[in-house]
Amino acid sequence: MTAQIEVRDVTFRYPGGDRAVLDKASLTVEKGEFVAILGGNGSGKSTLCKLLNGLIPHYYTGDFEGEVIVENMRTLDCKVAELSGIVGYVYQDFENQIVSPRVLDDACFAPLHQGMTDYLERGHEALRSVGLDHRQDDFIWQLSGGQKHLLALAGILSLNPDIIIIDEPVAQLDPKHAREIYDILRSLNEQGKTIIVIEHHTEFVAEYAQQVVLMDDGKVLFKKPVKEALNEVELLLERQIFPPQVTQAASLAGVDGPLPITPDEAAKHFSGGVRPLPSETGPARTGGGEELVVYRDTGFSVNTITREKRRILDDLNLTIRDGDHIALVGNNGAGKTSFMKLMTGLVKPDLGEVMVCGERTADRPPEYFAEKVAYIHQNPEQMFIDDSVEKDVGFFMKARKTPDLEVRVEELLRQFRLEELRERDSRLLSGGQQRRVSLAIGVGMIPEILVLDEPTANLDIATRKQITRLLDELKHQLKAVVIATHDMQLACEFANRIIVMNEGRIIHDGDRDSVFGNARLLEKAGLIPPQVFAFSQSIGWEPPAYTVDEFVRRFAGKEAEHGVYA
Amino acid sequence: MEYTRKLVDKLSVEQLKVELLNTAYGNDRTFLAKLDPRTLFIWYSFFGIVPWFIHNEKVLAGMFLFMAAATFTARVSPVIIFILCLGLLGQGGYLFIAALFFGGDWAVMYPLLVLTLKLSVISLASIAAFCSMDPEKLSNGLLKIGVPGQAAFSIAYGYRMLPTLIEEYQHVFQSFRLRGKAPEKHGFLYWRTIAYFIKLAVLSFYPLLLSMAKRARTTVEALETKGSLNGFNDPAVKKLKLSGLKMGRADYGFLLFSAVYAAALFILF
Repeated sequence: MTAQIEVRDVTFRYPGGDRAVLDKASLTVEKGEFVAILGGNGSGKSTLCKLLNGLIPHYYTGDFEGEVIVENMRTLDCKVAELSGIVGYVYQDFENQIVSPRVLDDACFAPLHQGMTDYLERGHEALRSVGLDHRQDDFIWQLSGGQKHLLALAGILSLNPDIIIIDEPVAQLDPKHAREIYDILRSLNEQGKTIIVIEHHTEFVAEYAQQVVLMDDGKVLFKKPVKEALNEVELLLERQIFPPQVTQAASLAGVDGPLPITPDEAAKHFSGGVRPLPSETGPARTGGGEELVVYRDTGFSVNTITREKRRILDDLNLTIRDGDHIALVGNNGAGKTSFMKLMTGLVKPDLGEVMVCGERTADRPPEYFAEKVAYIHQNPEQMFIDDSVEKDVGFFMKARKTPDLEVRVEELLRQFRLEELRERDSRLLSGGQQRRVSLAIGVGMIPEILVLDEPTANLDIATRKQITRLLDELKHQLKAVVIATHDMQLACEFANRIIVMNEGRIIHDGDRDSVFGNARLLEKAGLIPPQVFAFSQSIGWEPPAYTVDEFVRRFAGKEAEHGVYA
Repeated sequence: MEYTRKLVDKLSVEQLKVELLNTAYGNDRTFLAKLDPRTLFIWYSFFGIVPWFIHNEKVLAGMFLFMAAATFTARVSPVIIFILCLGLLGQGGYLFIAALFFGGDWAVMYPLLVLTLKLSVISLASIAAFCSMDPEKLSNGLLKIGVPGQAAFSIAYGYRMLPTLIEEYQHVFQSFRLRGKAPEKHGFLYWRTIAYFIKLAVLSFYPLLLSMAKRARTTVEALETKGSLNGFNDPAVKKLKLSGLKMGRADYGFLLFSAVYAAALFILF
């Protein structure tokens, strides 16, 4: 049997690009495999995937060498539309892939435009397989982010392709929805479809994928079964890819033989009747600082398309004080973004009040509160209003005629390592660079409180660590920081106060011990603790470890102690 | 002051989005909305053009009654009606004042009223017809009467992008507000504040264009992979797509009624 996909020595350079994005890349994929592609930002993962549905070389006509064969057809010889019946592609910015205003119409779009008479059944079937059939008559702007992603998937499933490619499926989803989409992918895989995902989260890779492809600098370094691949810890770390936490822990703890890649496998290596060392404490809360923001019986609602008011936030009572480093957690749609926007004065509460530094937000324009609260959007692009990094960072200070403007901008550029990018247009930078610019803009507003919406979403793990480090440094420059996040590692390492939101209400206000120690709370809010926490809990550590380092230290200490007694 | 603020709150960008989408998609249950788009095209091509050539005010008044009834049954958004009235009154009022100023007298009132009546008939006909077709229906109707597939699709797609566009614009606008500085004093008749907002409104378009261009890239790729670029003008696809369009009893009935009504106006007056 010949392979389903064969990429032979492909070199590709985008038109006008000065460097080959793919450099003699070769890859074979057999029918029915579940493949995960790993690699840092800019390693050529998306480009490799665009080879398979013929967008390269038909749509992007750059310098193309080598050949690609999909189901015995040379992609060079057939049309993109023909290939789309075989290969379906869900983009990272999937929202732009949806072209019709109604859900069912979008699901039917491809088969209809390829002249298939059974287009309606195909659309229905596709919606059923992703569990969206109950929303078929809705408008796409009534869907949540997760549902839009499922719709984009349905849009390609309607052509019943044998190969499905998904570019970073979980980047914008909360952990519960992420799992949902992976379960759908798994069931599609069990029906015989080949699944290819581009993924930074190795914990999902370990759980769902069978094969792993590692890319670096336009080359395919290897394709190996998942267990072997994730055991190449050094090779991965060199490329700033972090294996699952249990694998990292096992590697650091010096486990012999093949390293475990899932908690179940790891249990064998770490369980035993030894008592762990005392736990390490998390970031401490000073408490009792000056009141910065006060929510008093605050409610907030928006007008929906059907002219009804929809309540987003209800009955909020909360005080944010000097010294608070808050992580705001909860699933998509819990009201986190609205909660934070209320602080900026951009939106006003329709019940109760919000006080920022002693003044009601309803009484003054947002420009006034901008000097106290800096808000950083989830999507950094929405913050770019000027045509270069330098000007964007200095915009706020220039508007206020800050005297030592140039010196301040210079400092910020240095702090966020943007000196070399100063002349560039911020929209054209990579995800991690954009995030750094948005942070610099926020800090450049010299606020008392910095409010960040999902600062680590859409970033590869290396960039994520970088941002986490920058955030830690910022703690000293600011009175308080509020971060809305799905990234529980970030929440555990950064925050001294964790607020859990669910359906527009605050259902818990505590710290990492009170949140992650409460199984019912986690279940209700749809939160999934860091892997190493769940794992150490499952093998009976009390209290469990929050970080890999803590785990290894406690484990090593345990061994030493054990050694003394042995 | 308090009152102005309340009005400004009502006129938020969010509200604008809701109204626009409701106008486009909200009324699919009215009688007119259930008709075939071709019926509405034919109907509109009569009542949208013929009034220009009629000077008999009784006929015009009769048509006006019909159009008002049609607009009422189409459940058009009140905002649109409001804007229409504002436009008509503004126009008529301005001409009247200009006429008085240049030596006219109260006699100009009458011809101006006839003109306003004429304009109202035509405007109401447009509103009733086009608010009753959601963009998909309009797009299919145009495709049926021979407009190229790409053009018909871009109408439907344009509307699909509308909420995204408005949201994006709102984000940019908010970013300007969050980083800019509003004038400290409102100035005479609020002119400083008004100038500030107008400046922001204009500046916000530039970043909007760039970010939409970036989004469009994915969309065009997706359309390519969905095979639509060939499909738009393929006769088989067209047939499949338009198989749902049928002129029914209601369509013929409506056209017949309109014809009889118009004929009666001409005969009686």
